[in-house]
Amino acid sequence: MIKIKGLHKNFGSLEVLKGIDLHIKPCEVVVIIGPSGSGKSTLLRCINLLEDISSGTVIVDSFDIKDKNTDINFVRTEVGMVFQQFNLFPHMTAMENVTLGPIKVRKMPKKDAQKLGLELLRKVGLEDKANVYPDQLSGGQKQRVAIARSLALTPKAMLFDEPTSALDPELVGEVLEVMKALVLEGMTMVVVSHEMGFAREVAHRVIFMDEGVIVEENTPEEIFSNPQNDRTRSFLGKVL
Amino acid sequence: MGGNFQFKYSVIWESIPVLMTGVKLTILITFFGLVFGFLLGSLFGLGKTSRNIFFNKLSGFYIESIRGTPLMVQVMFLYFGLPLALGMRVPPLVAGVTAIAVNAGAYIAEIVRGAIQSMDRGQTEAGRSIGLTHFQTMIYVIWPQAFRRMIPPLGNQFIISLKDTSLLVVIGVGELTRQGQEIIAVNFRAFEVWFTVAIIYLAMTMFIAKLLNMVEKKLEIAS
Repeated sequence: MIKIKGLHKNFGSLEVLKGIDLHIKPCEVVVIIGPSGSGKSTLLRCINLLEDISSGTVIVDSFDIKDKNTDINFVRTEVGMVFQQFNLFPHMTAMENVTLGPIKVRKMPKKDAQKLGLELLRKVGLEDKANVYPDQLSGGQKQRVAIARSLALTPKAMLFDEPTSALDPELVGEVLEVMKALVLEGMTMVVVSHEMGFAREVAHRVIFMDEGVIVEENTPEEIFSNPQNDRTRSFLGKVL
Repeated sequence: MGGNFQFKYSVIWESIPVLMTGVKLTILITFFGLVFGFLLGSLFGLGKTSRNIFFNKLSGFYIESIRGTPLMVQVMFLYFGLPLALGMRVPPLVAGVTAIAVNAGAYIAEIVRGAIQSMDRGQTEAGRSIGLTHFQTMIYVIWPQAFRRMIPPLGNQFIISLKDTSLLVVIGVGELTRQGQEIIAVNFRAFEVWFTVAIIYLAMTMFIAKLLNMVEKKLEIAS
């Protein structure tokens, strides 16, 4: 589904990603953990080209995203993205947030888009908030609308960039529930998260990143109970 | 000093009909000047935020050259200068509207640029991440939000431009200031006439301020 090879990313003279190789299979759920500044978010953002790639290749569903002939806007509809800060459009209702993509990108008639929108809002438990503006929603509700907005493009994979980090602790659960439901549906997911419980419960693979490289990857059971690398061990020692 | 000056109210009432013909023209010039000025400002304001080097530099050049020269010089250049080079006369009204539009456009471009650049980058990223093109993101996501931020400074610019139309007196456009001047040429009642002219400008600028205030309130409620 997603193949990353020799990915490097520089911000000026600062090298943030130092050669990442990663292959994500369809329906796989990968959770990326690691200290802040390790390049986790940047890696995620390179997958849908929100960050330019300095060198290496990223292939998403057989599209080489750096290829000039690739329609990056199409590829972006194939991989949904959920942000730490939600980034809902504040001038649109929940429904309008969700239907903007289907209407403008997929050219879906408004009626059909709204039907889809209602379905998705129901899925994230917010059908009663369809006509509400984001500033009247709690953080958890905002993030669920943001997930629905991404799902509206029927993506083949979803990228989550610390989706619960900006939430009050009591609101984390409702977002994780929605994400777990997606896992059960077989959605391919790459999640940057500090939610070790979530990683342990649903991840097929956990990747530990530090200083721009993948230090260790393994099943959650192995990585949490039997980390091979010192840096992994020390990181997990701090967060668990 | 002015010991035998007497304020004559009758002068005011007598001047009003003529001044009103000037008001009409002032409003007309301001309106069209600002409509075209807003279009120019939006275009070059977007240009200033564009990654296209040519468009960006062109916008910068436009804004700098207009901001850096007096409106009076721009007006005279347009009306007296340019026709010599083009070999055709430009009607004063056309020159006047053009001058206001081009001048306001440069300032509005800066307002537009500022509002767009003040938007959170996450908004653009969210738009792009659902597959919208750069242009679509601009139109549906960024512009409507940025527009709200533009309203207060735009109101300011509208008021400035309305007052600036009085400079068109130098090319003989029969707007409000010009009409006042002509009345005084006949009756020499400078005090009453300029006082009246000032009050009329004040009424018009207050009206614009009020109108924009209402628009702002309305947009606030709508979100």
